[in-house]
Amino acid sequence: MNNKNIIGIYDDQDVLLNALDELMENGVKIKDVYSPIPLHGVFEKLHLKTRLPYATFIYGAIGTITVFMFLYWTSVVSYPLKFGGKPLNTLSFIIIMFVLTIFVGTFFTFLTYFIREKMYPGKQVELPIPETTNDKFAVIIQRDVTMTEDDVKKVNSLLQKTGAVEIKETE
Amino acid sequence: MYNTRVRGVLIKGNKSFADVSRDIIKPMDDKTPMWWWVTAFLATGALFWGVWGFYNTISTGIGEWGLNNNVAWGWAIINFVWWIGIGHAGTAFSIFLLILRQKWRTSINRAAEAMTIFAVMAAGLFPLIHMGRIWDGFFIFPYWNTRGPLWDNFNSPLFWDVVAISTYLMASFVFWYMGMIPDFATIRERTASKMKKKIYGILSFGWIGNAKGWLRFETAALLLGGMAAPLVVSVHSIVSMDFSVSVVPGWHTTIFPPYFVIGAIFSGFGMVLTLMIILRKLYKFKDYVTDGHLDAIARILTFISLIMGTAYLTELFMAWYSGNEYELFTFMKNRVTGEYTFAYWTMLTCNALIPQLFWFKKIRKNITIVFIISIFINIGMWFERYVIVVTSLSKDFLPSTWATYEPTITEISIFVGTLGLFLLGVLMFFRFVPTIAISEVKSVLKETTTLKSFTDE
Repeated sequence: MNNKNIIGIYDDQDVLLNALDELMENGVKIKDVYSPIPLHGVFEKLHLKTRLPYATFIYGAIGTITVFMFLYWTSVVSYPLKFGGKPLNTLSFIIIMFVLTIFVGTFFTFLTYFIREKMYPGKQVELPIPETTNDKFAVIIQRDVTMTEDDVKKVNSLLQKTGAVEIKETE
Repeated sequence: MYNTRVRGVLIKGNKSFADVSRDIIKPMDDKTPMWWWVTAFLATGALFWGVWGFYNTISTGIGEWGLNNNVAWGWAIINFVWWIGIGHAGTAFSIFLLILRQKWRTSINRAAEAMTIFAVMAAGLFPLIHMGRIWDGFFIFPYWNTRGPLWDNFNSPLFWDVVAISTYLMASFVFWYMGMIPDFATIRERTASKMKKKIYGILSFGWIGNAKGWLRFETAALLLGGMAAPLVVSVHSIVSMDFSVSVVPGWHTTIFPPYFVIGAIFSGFGMVLTLMIILRKLYKFKDYVTDGHLDAIARILTFISLIMGTAYLTELFMAWYSGNEYELFTFMKNRVTGEYTFAYWTMLTCNALIPQLFWFKKIRKNITIVFIISIFINIGMWFERYVIVVTSLSKDFLPSTWATYEPTITEISIFVGTLGLFLLGVLMFFRFVPTIAISEVKSVLKETTTLKSFTDE
């Protein structure tokens, strides 16, 4: 895979957002944006979407059903035991179901996040621009093999024009 | 939209992003200060005394406590409820203020969440130790056993408690840790020390902070927060049901769940206030935790204090209006007057009256007084639980079974031990973790601070 990138570094979030607009209008394909903070403008402009909420909903639904089935099975099927004359299949199951739904939802959402992000304790990463965890914003533009020198120049001048404080190329 | 003209500048001192990282990480890079060692020494001492209390309880038995047939719940449950209450502020801060879009939460949520974790851990010790035979603790879990299998009583609030507290601990921890990952990455990339780079590299899970990563991060944080919000309310409601589903006078009342939830948030905010005043002083975080932040907490406390006062008066009114002579006796002859007058009036003064001083701007601006009042709230909330637990149990229906209750040295030592545990946890947090959420402060920084040209217009 071709890993040659052109990186434009910005030091302000609003300058960056305007720059993205300008770059995209000129047909430059943005590969990724690295930033110290989440930027909603970037998500919108790059048309990024996540299906995490659906996953959470499914976990929660499975949790509710499983917990109810377990409670019903233990209290009604496996060992029916009357407490204080209350019915075996009682409304107080709702409390346990409610709390454990949150348990299952939270825990598996947390896990799913790491699985989808391919993150794990001790993962070694090399950041293109380490300062993006501090105060810089980096726009990564892939330098395709089809790109001519002129194209690269055009991208560079666009980055310059939109207020990039530094432009880098990586191999 | 945050309007600096209306609400003032959130983070003072015209900070840049780099300043924020530097300021917040600085205390972690500095040499461990003397106060840290001294406090850690004291906290460890307290913890050891608590370990002695644990040992004493387990080796001799629950008879080491001052409990008797009538007052079968004493300091253990008082302290349990107190700690759980304190543990409520972290999530309350993070979630409710997130939902209400309060930007000032960003300077405080990390510390509040840390407090939650340690307080819930301290709380969790009490149900364990109060069993006496702690090695049989696993009986509470519905596992496949050779006694039938005989399952738990799923109608019991005590079982709900176990489920709720463990869920709360897990959810709070996950939420807290999740928020710290970008900050760990910031430390990883900044630090010059190889050791630190390695440790924070492991802790940061390989965070890179690209667009998709941030999107998923924000979504996950919102989901975890959204799920924790109803949990906050349900956990303390369930704790209150430990009491309110009984028939004991003074407990058997429907006001308990909301009253406990509000009380928990009240004591938690009180503890947050105490902690933040100490933190900003020690680490010179006055630009981040400004007087405005403390003012906001004080205002919330004033409001919650009014609700507390209303709850106390409602209880008294219902004791009379219900026409139940046992209720009336418990409230009027055993709380307002009688043997436990001191505890009752301390509770009322500390929770409902003293925080009303926050109505005065002069008092809200005087941080020393604010600090003292926050301590009073912590004490008052402890007494509230004391009043609820002990007064109701000591004199109930039959005068022949009346008994008094005095804690023994073992019970006191266990409580002091949990204080030590909490303090030690907080100290570790102060030393090894960024105490303010760096990335979150940054994300509101520009909007709330650098609109200087706007304000000048």
